[in-house]
Amino acid sequence: MTDHQQSAPLIEMRDVHKSFGSTAVLKGVSLSVRDGGVVCIIGPSGSGKSTILRCINGLMTIDKGTIRVGSFAVETLKSDKQLVPLRHQVAMVFQQYNLFPHRTVLQNLTMAPVQVLGENPAAVRERALALLAKVRLTGKQHAYPGELSGGQQQRVAIARALAMQPKVILFDEVTAALDPEMVSEVLNVIRDLAREGMTCVLVTHEMRFAQEVADEVFFTDRGVIVEHGPPATIFQNPTDPRLKAFLDKVL
Amino acid sequence: MTLDFSWLLDPLYQKWLLRGIGTTMLLSLLGMVLMFVIGIAGAALLHLKVRFLQSPVTIFVELFRNTPPLVQLFFLYFMLSEIGLTLTDPVTGGRIPLFTGFTCVVLSLGLYNGAIAVEIIRSGLLAVPAQTVEGARSLGYSRLQTFRYVELPIGLRMSIPPMTSNIVSLIKTSSQAVLVAVADIMYGATQIMLETFRNLEVMLLIWVIYLAIASLAVLVVRRIAAAFRIPGYGS
Ligand SMILES: Nc1ncnc2c1ncn2[C@@H]1O[C@H](COP(=O)(O)OP(=O)(O)OP(=O)(O)O)[C@@H](O)[C@H]1O
Ligand SMILES: [Mg+2]
Repeated sequence: MTDHQQSAPLIEMRDVHKSFGSTAVLKGVSLSVRDGGVVCIIGPSGSGKSTILRCINGLMTIDKGTIRVGSFAVETLKSDKQLVPLRHQVAMVFQQYNLFPHRTVLQNLTMAPVQVLGENPAAVRERALALLAKVRLTGKQHAYPGELSGGQQQRVAIARALAMQPKVILFDEVTAALDPEMVSEVLNVIRDLAREGMTCVLVTHEMRFAQEVADEVFFTDRGVIVEHGPPATIFQNPTDPRLKAFLDKVL
Repeated sequence: MTLDFSWLLDPLYQKWLLRGIGTTMLLSLLGMVLMFVIGIAGAALLHLKVRFLQSPVTIFVELFRNTPPLVQLFFLYFMLSEIGLTLTDPVTGGRIPLFTGFTCVVLSLGLYNGAIAVEIIRSGLLAVPAQTVEGARSLGYSRLQTFRYVELPIGLRMSIPPMTSNIVSLIKTSSQAVLVAVADIMYGATQIMLETFRNLEVMLLIWVIYLAIASLAVLVVRRIAAAFRIPGYGS
């Protein structure tokens, strides 16, 4: 590991700008995530957190700045075809799970590796079953998403992301739509992934979880990163008044 | 007033009726196939915003959806016989018209109900949640793959209820076939009425037969809908 400490980070955003019509949503965002790092993005609603994640995997195009993920210059990838290798490396989990309702749990996991990446169906199936065991959903492979609880659906979504064998997983408020008793079952899975060295970028309102798993926390407000640093500093010794006010409200 | 159905015992009339039912069902079935092809293709072009094809599709839909199907049938019939395309019969070597009355009816049903199907399927596609689509995109699905594997399968299921009425409408509209001399059920009925003058009884029977065919179609669609129902999704 020490050999690589000076090597380039896995994700690097530099001075990223993004507007929707006349509303500027990102106004010069820079952040970097090292390989194996766990980064949390916190901030008030509408401050651009989801937009940052969507820019990283090319779901949104940016107006200005650069985004590098591994060897990809994301802002230069235009066609669906060019984006496939990026999305192979960068998986995403959403607040509303975004599963395929018309396919079984197992098919949700195997579809993209087979249909998008062209992998061998038998091998993908085996991997998918192992992943379902990992997220503690063995036995649910033939259920449909609509037959599962929110917490179970979100774990399927995480397993679906893992089935792509990504280098990075982006989590966008993945526990926000869950009933309180289901939050921990999902956070446990994410905690395991973080410990195993999966690079994670988490947008979250679970401040205690952020404090526990993150190497670094970024605080966004109105399209800029106001403050960032190790969780101990951000949560115990915040300097920016906006961050202080935000923490007073949520903690 | 007494109803007299004794003519039903005549084997010749039975033959006309059965042949008519067969023709009506075949017309409807072929019309439905064309309707689905047009409906899916049209909805896909609109939904995927294919350049240069969107406005032609929209014009087609408006043109066929908002005009009487009978006018369309006559127009097709006269226009196509005017052009007078013919095929060479491989057996006899004779020339046969490419567009018979039968072909015209199938085309007309496919176009009229297909135009309606375009709108129905398009609304079904619009009802697919944006999140589901985003999920697919985030996994690397291209725009076309997303359509093929996610939006279309879900959207078609959503369009089943309005599509059922469209199918019934197609079956009913097929009764126009008689007007371009196709021997469908209405044609058989007209012949029988000319010979027996039992107009009321014949029409009563035809009414029941259409009801039976339409009910059968609805039943089949329900079966298909049940087989493709998404467990735990929607209602
Ligand atoms: N597709 C879009 N079109 C127009 N405006 C958008 C779009 N997506 C996001 N926005 C706007 O951009 C701003 C930032 O949105 P974003 O979803 O990134 O915020 P967020 O920090 O994730 O908020 P939340 O905590 O509520 O999820 C918001 O004001 C939102 O209304
Ligand atoms: Mg958000």
